[in-house]
Amino acid sequence: MATMTRRQFLRTSAGGIGLGALAGCAAPMTGDVAPKSGRRVVVIGGGWGGASAAKYLRLSDPSIDVVLLEPNERFVSCPFSNLVLSGVRTLDSITFDYRGLRRHGVKVMHREATAIEPDAKRVRMGDGYLQYDRLVVAPGIEFQWDQVEGLAQAKDTVLHAWKAGPQTTELARQLESMADGGVFVLTVPPIAYRCPPGPYERACQVAWYLKTKKPRSKLIVLDANQNVVSKTALFRGVWSKDYPNLDYRPSSKVVKVDPSVREVQTEIGDKVKYDVLNLIPPQRAGTIAVQADLVGADKRWCEVNHLTYESVKVKDVHVVGDSTIGLPVPKSGNVANNMGKVAAVAIASLLNGKQPPPMAPGNTCYSWVNDREAIAVVNSYRIADGKVVQIEQKLTPGPSPEWGQNAIGWATSIWNDMLA
Amino acid sequence: MHIVLGMLVVLVAASGAFAGPLDTPGATKALTCSACHGMGGQSPSNAMPIIAGIDRAYFKKAIEDYATGKRPSPEMEPYAKMVRDLGVDDVGAYFAAQPRRPTSLPVNAAAAERGKVAAAQCAVCHGPDGRGDAAKGVPDLRGQPEGYLRQQMILFKADKRSPGDPNLTALKALMKTIPDDTLRDLAAYFSSVR
Repeated sequence: MATMTRRQFLRTSAGGIGLGALAGCAAPMTGDVAPKSGRRVVVIGGGWGGASAAKYLRLSDPSIDVVLLEPNERFVSCPFSNLVLSGVRTLDSITFDYRGLRRHGVKVMHREATAIEPDAKRVRMGDGYLQYDRLVVAPGIEFQWDQVEGLAQAKDTVLHAWKAGPQTTELARQLESMADGGVFVLTVPPIAYRCPPGPYERACQVAWYLKTKKPRSKLIVLDANQNVVSKTALFRGVWSKDYPNLDYRPSSKVVKVDPSVREVQTEIGDKVKYDVLNLIPPQRAGTIAVQADLVGADKRWCEVNHLTYESVKVKDVHVVGDSTIGLPVPKSGNVANNMGKVAAVAIASLLNGKQPPPMAPGNTCYSWVNDREAIAVVNSYRIADGKVVQIEQKLTPGPSPEWGQNAIGWATSIWNDMLA
Repeated sequence: MHIVLGMLVVLVAASGAFAGPLDTPGATKALTCSACHGMGGQSPSNAMPIIAGIDRAYFKKAIEDYATGKRPSPEMEPYAKMVRDLGVDDVGAYFAAQPRRPTSLPVNAAAAERGKVAAAQCAVCHGPDGRGDAAKGVPDLRGQPEGYLRQQMILFKADKRSPGDPNLTALKALMKTIPDDTLRDLAAYFSSVR
């Protein structure tokens, strides 16, 4: 691509257009990539928390310049991706672009944030940097490869499919190619991890698929936890009623994997052979959060102010989504979306010299137990003495197609809320 | 050219479909609602109702009924309690002030035609085109998503919506006489009314 002068770059970006053309540009940028003229918020991460924060910043105060750094050119939704594994949905149907955010005037740059320099209030992208007045860090999760022996060397072949995208398609392909009679092993890490009910929804989808397509196969779930950690009675009820091909083993933390003999080993020495393995590793906050020392002593998750999501460790840096800890909320997409919106309103308030309104997140979470029926858990919260506390949690009484239709409604609406 | 585009961007942002979050206390309190009900309550889905432009008294009653369990809903009960906590009048005022547009989801034209004929029996309370009667607490059905309307009718017919509510006795009795297929047609019709 031809070199663009800085004047050309600034002219196109001022109108909220033109950055799309730069999106795929591989030409390295050095120095101040886009000198700041007014107030600016940089958002790292274009997922559930970051996209929501970027959009709602623009809605709160269009005079605030918002730059979003997201390496991926397309957003793929983890919620509903388990339906891609079972063939109920296509990956395309849960893939979206960033045009909507650009229409709101968010400058979306498909580059990776490599470092944060809080003293200079800069975000580095390699040799280039961007200045900020406030920073939102929404990097999601990274995997702790070293927690499972043999995993770091095999991470290109042992699939997690815990960040939706190519691994989702590949795992679906492996499932489809497995011989009838083969064994699918799914491992669940110890809490806390992204999306508490996610692995159990995945177990339902795989079991449902195997039941009709490979009736001699079985699914073994090796759960590090002592029981299903979310919607417990609902999942176990569905499994005992509908999925005799599902062998659930709690207190079975996987500590070693050996792809050469297709075997995993648990904490107490049990060896389990697999034909297809889905190993969901233990997790921590995205790497940029660790690099910037936003994480706590265990180097895993970021503690934040419950009203503004400002890091308790670094001033003017806000953290939202799965990478946070300390609020009595699950690591869910809906929570991240709400954190992003609340943080956006808080930051816009602060930049305008106003008190942020006290606002808590909420969580609505659907899990698909087969191709038509879903179950749900819903949590609402309030602010009490500067902290988020739960008002109530409710569960659907059982699975039904009605909750399945509502799950589709929720997904349509929230994808719209964060990206349109 | 770029200056004009820049101004257009600012104009579009300023005249957005709903009042900016900083402008009213209700807007901030309604932040978590948009995940299911759409921005400003303009629900884009087939399952959740459009609450933009909702009647304030109707909203308040719905929240009260959800919060007390009178209108059973595991999905709405925790949020209704949250709305009461934040101030139902603020949140209701916000949604009432939002401009309402009908759903953009299409319906089956033949079903809507059949529903129009069948809707004669609904007119006594909901009016000739489903616009309702705010003073009597009868909601405006026009342009609501078909899936939501159908689901509520099914719940009315099965006496699962607000069981025991005396105001709904006559409605439920009427619903019991209407076949499920006709309920589908009615939902299509009212959803299509502009």
